[in-house]
This record gives sequence, C-alpha cells and structure tokens, in this order.
Amino acid sequence: MMKEVVLKKEDIEPGKMKSASLGKIPIVVCRTKDGEFYAYANRCLHQGAPLSEGALVGDTKRTDVHGNYEYIKEGEILRCPWHGLEYDIKNDGCMLAEPDKKLRSFKVTIEDDYVVVHK
Amino acid sequence: MSQKSAGKKQKQRRIIDTDVHERATYADLVPYLDHPWKRYITDNHWMQEKHMPYTQPTVAGVDRADAVTPDGGAAGTDLSFMQQQLLDAEGHEYGILTGALDPSPSSMHGWYEMATALASAYNDWQIENWLEKDDRLYGSVHIAAQDPQQAVREIERVGSHPKMVQILLPIDKTPWGDPFYHPIYEAAERYHLSIGMHHNEPPTHFGEWPRYFIEWHTMLPTAHMIEVSNMVFNGVFDKFPGLHLIMIEGGFTHAPHLMKKMDQQYKELRHEIPWVKRMPSDIMREHVRFTTQPVEEMNQKEFMQYIDQMGSEDMVCFATDYPHWDYDSPLEALPKLDEALAEKVYSENARASYPKLPQKQGSVT
Ligand code: FES
Repeated sequence: MMKEVVLKKEDIEPGKMKSASLGKIPIVVCRTKDGEFYAYANRCLHQGAPLSEGALVGDTKRTDVHGNYEYIKEGEILRCPWHGLEYDIKNDGCMLAEPDKKLRSFKVTIEDDYVVVHK
Repeated sequence: MSQKSAGKKQKQRRIIDTDVHERATYADLVPYLDHPWKRYITDNHWMQEKHMPYTQPTVAGVDRADAVTPDGGAAGTDLSFMQQQLLDAEGHEYGILTGALDPSPSSMHGWYEMATALASAYNDWQIENWLEKDDRLYGSVHIAAQDPQQAVREIERVGSHPKMVQILLPIDKTPWGDPFYHPIYEAAERYHLSIGMHHNEPPTHFGEWPRYFIEWHTMLPTAHMIEVSNMVFNGVFDKFPGLHLIMIEGGFTHAPHLMKKMDQQYKELRHEIPWVKRMPSDIMREHVRFTTQPVEEMNQKEFMQYIDQMGSEDMVCFATDYPHWDYDSPLEALPKLDEALAEKVYSENARASYPKLPQKQGSVT
C-alpha cells in the first residue's frame, strides 16, 4: 500500500475535477457538489481519452414515460471528452451504459487539507 | 475491458489520415474575398444557413472537448495546436484536410455566385495557411457544385496545386451522380484529383430530421449509401474509369450489405441502366473507398468478417475525424490486424486512392 499527497483540498472547487499523478499513474481527482473527493485512472476505457478534459455532469433518470426528462446526480457523472461515455463517480466509476465496466478507482483521504490518494 | 482491448497497444505505424477537419471562421475568409462578397459578410453578417435542429448532446458541441485551442479558439482553427495534438502526437505521415462544412459552398441553397466566391476564398485560405505550412497536410478543393461550369473553373484554378488531392462534395440533399454534375468528374480525372464525399447535414429520415440526434447519427450511413448507389447506377465510373471516390465519415460496416444488395438489383434490373456494364460490387471494389471512422467497437474476427464480405482488403482507409467528438484514435480504435492488412488500412489504401500523394518511402522505425 502506498499513498501520496496529490493536491491541496482547495485546489478543486466542489463540482470540479483535476488531473494529477499517483506515482506514474495519471489520475483524475473529482470533487462532487457535496464536497467529497474521488480518484480514478485518468484514461477512458473506450479509446483512452484523458477523462479530466471531459465534464462533470448529471444523468437523465431512466423512465417508462416517453418524453420525460428528470435530471439527476448533477456533478456526479464524469463524461468523456471524446465520445461521451459516462462514469458514475459516486458508484465506483461504473460506466452508465455498461455497469459491469468500471474505471480503476483509488481510495482518497483528506489529511490536513491535503488530498491523499492511496494505491 | 472492451472487446478489442486484447489488441492494445498497436505499434507506431505509417498513418494516412483521410479525415482531418481544419476550420475557418468567416473573419478568416474575408481577406480572401472581393466586394461585394466581402461586404455581405462584414456589413450584413452573412453566414450560411444551418438547419440541424439538435443541440449537440456531447461535452463540447461537435468537437473533442480537449481540442479547444490554447487561446480558447474553436477546435481545428490553429495549425500549431493541430500539429501538436494530432500530427506529431500520432506520428502522421499525411493528413487529408476536409474542411469543417461551414461554409459548405455546395450545400448552399441558391445564390451560387456567393457559393462560388466562398469556395475560391476557402481554397486560397486553405493553401496559404495549411497546405503550404505543413508538408504532411494535403487538401480538398472546395467548389460550388450546384453550378458545374463555375465549379470546373475553380478546379482548373487550384486543382493543379501539388497539395490538392481531392474535390470535396457534401452529402446533403443532392445525389451527385446525375449527368448534370459529370463535368466535375471529368475535371477531377484531368487533374488527378479524387472525389471525397463527406456528410454535411443530410436529412436522413425520409427527407426529414428525426426526432433525436442519436437516430440521425446512427443512420448517417444511409445517406452515404444513397450517394454510392447513385454514382454507380448513373454510370459515373463507367464514364470516368480513372475516378476514385472516397466516402468519408460514414464508416464501412454498411458496405458489404450495399454491395450485395446492388449486385442483386443489377441482376434483376440492369436493363434500366444499360450504361452500367459491370456488377456494382466490382465497380465499387475498383473505385469506391470507405473511411473507418466512426468505427464500431469490434474484435479482429468481426473486422475480418466485414472485409471478407466486401471481398477486398483495399476498400477501407483509416480516418480520425480530428478534432470532432467522435474522433478515432489511431492506436485504439481498430482491433489488431495482420500486418499486411494493417498497412493497407492505415496508409496504403489511401495512398492508392489519392494519385497525387507521394509514393511510399522507406520504412517506419
Ligand atoms: S475515448 Fe472515452 S468515450 Fe471514447
């Protein structure tokens, strides 16, 4: 087990994300609107795009009613900058379209206002 | 893991990218226009009508979100950033510029004089700012094809430029195989230019826009199929035996079906088109090429099934579509292929389809 300080807490506003490195691994650190931090490998499972260049967005809730749009999970969905695949950052980085696929995730702790990522 | 992940990472290889979008702003074109055309833009804020009813449901419109230029400009507007992010990063041998389809002179409804002026301005801008600034970039002659005589004049004006390799036609509402447009193909042959067709905003669903972007984007290949069948059945390739047609950004997985279907129809209805003298699939194997992007995820076995059904390894050419949202990575998009086929797909099929591209030199190290 190793751990590394990757950013200062204040480096990321709630609802934003940033690229960083954990040793040699490029990671993306996301902060949801409730202030929590999450860290994932910064590489899309599809064609390898850098996820930190994408956007933190929401999702449209699945529905049985055609034409019904309900926007949920705002700021919790990491959307790839290229083809737009979506990952649920509060749900272990699962891909929304194929939930059995997930991003490599890393444990995050906050220590003295620093974001510490564990491997 | 995606199905094709077993094949990653592909080796660095020779790449001829058949779809690279440079983008002009209207302000970029103004210096290349004379009055009155210039005045219509500067004073009247003229811009080409656009119809697509969808706000693009992607992260950054139709662009890769990471392709915004360092100074915040639109993707594809900055040569040095394109060099850094695409040509240098991926090690391109050549990239074929295909414009950003706005302006798209051949898509304009009416006012063909303005379209003709815009096409000339665009070509001059492209030559000066892109083709003559990077050895790896080759270009497309933009024309106002609605007026074939004027279009031919433009081909005669810039078609012999050594970096111009094709004439660009938008896939929109016009079936380009009609004999009315044949002077364009005659000029293409004369100047050793290929014909590149790239969709613009075709209303794919019975002449209308479908309800959702996902429907439109899924069915874009149908617009490509219409153009290919129209070109073949109107006898373009019988009349111009040296012509190459490259269908850009429709992918290739629809091609086996189209070839099979057209052959069957030809057997039954050939008497209606006596100017077509060979099986459509044979004509297509010789004259028509399909670019890979936007490729569906597939493994090597699936890829080879399509190739087998096409009956040719020569018809598929790699393309990234940089800097658009559905960009395909040269190293990641396709499954691992046998070396000989990979070389054809990534570079040699394109080289054979663009007579003005330099011949293969040396080997990739
Ligand atoms: S690379 Fe991320 S969606 Fe394709």
